[in-house]
Amino acid sequence: MSSGSALARNPFEPARAGGDSRLSVEQVSYAYSANPTQAPLFTLEATSFQAKPGEIVAILGPNASGKSTLLNLIAGALAPLSGRILLDGFVTHSLTPKTRAQRIAVVQQESRLLFPARAWEFVLQGRHAHGRSLRFESEDDVIIAKNALAQVGAADLSDRWMDEISGGEKQRVILARALAQQPLLLLLDEPTLHLDIAAQVGLLDALRRLAAENRYTVVVVTHELNLAAEYADQVVLMQRGRCLRVGPPASIYQRELLEQVFQTPLTVELGASGRPRVTVLSERSSEL
Amino acid sequence: MTDFARSLIRNTLCAAIAALLLCSAPSHAQNASPVSAASPVFREVTDEAGRTVRVPQPVNRIVSLAPSLTETVYALGLQDRLVGDTDYCDYPADAQKKTKVGGGISPSLEVIAALHPDLVLVTKSFNRLETVHSLDNLGIPSYATDPHTLGEIIASSKKLSEILGAPEAGASVAADMQRHLADLQKRLGDLPPKRVLFVVWTQPLISVGKDTFIADALRHAGAVSIVDAEQAWPQVSLEEVARLQPDFLIFSASHSDAVSPAVEALAELPGWNIVEAVSNRRIAVISEAVNRPAPRIVSAIEDLARQLHPDAFVEKPESGKEKLQRENPSPNSPPSTFSRDAAQAQMTVPGGCA
Amino acid sequence: MKPLTLRHLLLQCSILVIILFVVVVVALKFGAVPVSLYALGRDLLRVVFGQSSQISSDYGLIIVNIRLPRILLGMIVGASLSVAGTSFQALLRNPLADPYVLGVSSGASLGAILALIVEPHLSISPLFAALLTPLGAFLGAAATITAVYFLGRREGQIDSTTLLLAGVITGSFLSAIILFLMSTLTGSLRGLSFWMMGELSTPLQKSVYWFLGVGFLFAAGAIYTTASDLNLLLAGEKEAMHLGVDVPRVRLVVYVAASFLTGLAVSVSGAVGYVGLIVPHVMRFIFGSDHRTLLPTAAIGGAIAVIMADTLARTVVAPTEVPVGAVTAVIGAPLFIYLLRRRLT
Repeated sequence: MSSGSALARNPFEPARAGGDSRLSVEQVSYAYSANPTQAPLFTLEATSFQAKPGEIVAILGPNASGKSTLLNLIAGALAPLSGRILLDGFVTHSLTPKTRAQRIAVVQQESRLLFPARAWEFVLQGRHAHGRSLRFESEDDVIIAKNALAQVGAADLSDRWMDEISGGEKQRVILARALAQQPLLLLLDEPTLHLDIAAQVGLLDALRRLAAENRYTVVVVTHELNLAAEYADQVVLMQRGRCLRVGPPASIYQRELLEQVFQTPLTVELGASGRPRVTVLSERSSEL
Repeated sequence: MTDFARSLIRNTLCAAIAALLLCSAPSHAQNASPVSAASPVFREVTDEAGRTVRVPQPVNRIVSLAPSLTETVYALGLQDRLVGDTDYCDYPADAQKKTKVGGGISPSLEVIAALHPDLVLVTKSFNRLETVHSLDNLGIPSYATDPHTLGEIIASSKKLSEILGAPEAGASVAADMQRHLADLQKRLGDLPPKRVLFVVWTQPLISVGKDTFIADALRHAGAVSIVDAEQAWPQVSLEEVARLQPDFLIFSASHSDAVSPAVEALAELPGWNIVEAVSNRRIAVISEAVNRPAPRIVSAIEDLARQLHPDAFVEKPESGKEKLQRENPSPNSPPSTFSRDAAQAQMTVPGGCA
Repeated sequence: MKPLTLRHLLLQCSILVIILFVVVVVALKFGAVPVSLYALGRDLLRVVFGQSSQISSDYGLIIVNIRLPRILLGMIVGASLSVAGTSFQALLRNPLADPYVLGVSSGASLGAILALIVEPHLSISPLFAALLTPLGAFLGAAATITAVYFLGRREGQIDSTTLLLAGVITGSFLSAIILFLMSTLTGSLRGLSFWMMGELSTPLQKSVYWFLGVGFLFAAGAIYTTASDLNLLLAGEKEAMHLGVDVPRVRLVVYVAASFLTGLAVSVSGAVGYVGLIVPHVMRFIFGSDHRTLLPTAAIGGAIAVIMADTLARTVVAPTEVPVGAVTAVIGAPLFIYLLRRRLT
């Protein structure tokens, strides 16, 4: 807790959240309706969790559970109906897009480019949030972009055209662009959706390494049970707009809980790495 | 930058330098047109568009931007002062030899300016307001005519002759026109006018409005247009024509032969063959002079009157004196540009409207 | 990895400026009336040194009073249309967008028609009468821009798809009104079809040229400040926002400024076609899609294109003048097909 009484606190000084957690999601809820007079089509009920630097948080759940909505709220793209989201003490939604982009980087699944661009041009876009609006990139920008590509192991893709590289390579370049923003918080929305197994593992290994080296806080939205179990430090389990439980994988991966959420029979074992491993049962195997 | 882009830029730069060198080649520029040295005297007149125009006196160099105005200038005997006209100015034949300034809607301001005219003649039905504004910007005075009836055509020619400094010629032309029209009126007398449709274009069917000089010309020829519209070139529905059943259809063309095949084709069409004038081939073809508000229009009116009311033109035998006068016009009077023979002789060349 | 530098940008622009200079010289020399290069140079120098009164009456009048204003107008119109076209292609994320897709030209034409209808009934000085058509066109354009803006919003902000739909429909509607008026008022509107095809012979006062120049610099400058934002906007609106672009603000600035440029151009020259569509693509082809380069090069390229087209329009069937919009169409369409094929191979 912060020192000094609440009354004496400078109102412009960012409110410190508990402990050394960087990201604090506090009782955040949201509702979306197509028409103001109609009942909301979708609601996200009050959700809370916290994350520290270097930590990977997985927002896990089946489709339409509100994962992406929660991510958009954290990213500051949506304003919560109630509650707030603090990043290093600043309310994310109240920041200007530019300041927000200096702290939060979002990695989408696919990137559709209208006109062809090279990978290095793409990554340099990440530097847009730093510096004046109309400017030419400086030496520093170039170095940071180069480093970002190197960190994701895509330095050799630098001169290639974006529409000529494979899905996995493209995902790495998109991640490099996010890194070039030099963010505090890295948000990824179903990053493994279009990737093959090797690429999936490669990406998550890189995330773990980057989070540890650069002290990022990483929040990943996914429905891949085993990947979340393997790589996340914390899991936020969601179902139909409700947050059911927050905690380390061991406390989340309980058979009855997961079966209820994912509506399919499964077994949970301890994997070789010490992390839970889920095996989904088909009808045939459940008869055995 | 790609290699292709680089070579493209290199080639463009070379082309640019080549163009620059080409420009340096000596050009055979036109000889400078003489500018009148005398200090100009001006006269303020109001033209038929309501504008106040400062006309330099005397007017030695005229540019005409409409075929009808060119014809009028020739009729007034002032063709030596005409230094430029449009591509469409084809009557009389000498007009084709004048320096051309382009079309009526888009004449070349440069060529007009290079001719150093004292006055530019325009008409509201053929030229654009913007051309007039552009000429104003260059300090070149322009005078606009806008006749809607035969009477206005006559008055217009007369006023023009006064401005151009040849009032006697104008009075003579006006008197001539009035005499021919009066003769015509006497012949036609109380004959009921024929109901006609003047066809400007067949597809779509376009005729003339009641406020145009063509409609007035029809009246003077003993006809009345069945189209009663405010617009100048109204598009008429074929049904309406079939309902009204005009006595005659009137076409204007350089050759009457050009019209016959067109009419034959029309007679086949389902909508047209119920128009009795088409199925009975009651067609009158007159020269394109009817499209131009100039003195020559009178000959076209006479021609039409003969076609519509042939009984009124049974000729009395001429006296010898009249015949002599007709065949040997006095050399001092301006060329009788509205004699029927002369008009027919000129019918070979296509002309524009107005 | 070679990011764009200011020096590189200036170099690219200088090349284009040289080409522009040559094109202007050619345009001043060629026309219905032949002019020698020597006389041209001499008279231009006289103008530069303020000795306008000493210009020989033979060619001076033609060069200074007819060709030079026309070339200036061509430059501003070409630059405005190209910058507007580039901006709309980025704003609507559509490579087929041209300055007229949002209905501005239809609005301007309708304004011009209404001005022509009203003109005989007003008693105004001849000075003002000549300006009535451009003024009417500009007001028509402004009204259309405002209407389309309000129609093209979703939840209070400009939305690309909604804007495009609103603009296309408004344009169609206004065109229908124009067709109706033109078919029922054939007499007084003669020659308007010529203007609507785009032509540079509209007579204008000096002050209007100042207004055009300042207006162009202001609006194009405003768009240029969003050049980096536009680069990012092309990657997607959500991505652009996550990368730090204030998307609603950028959209508003670009929409208003680009529509203003279009209105400016159309008011004085009618709807010159193809320039706003093709020049951005040609410049993109040569210089790439970075808007920090694309916007200035498109501006200069547009000026070059329109002046060249106008020179052709004045000389190809001299002394008759073809509307410059006809020339740009005849050349522009095949050029676009050629570019398309090159891009595909």
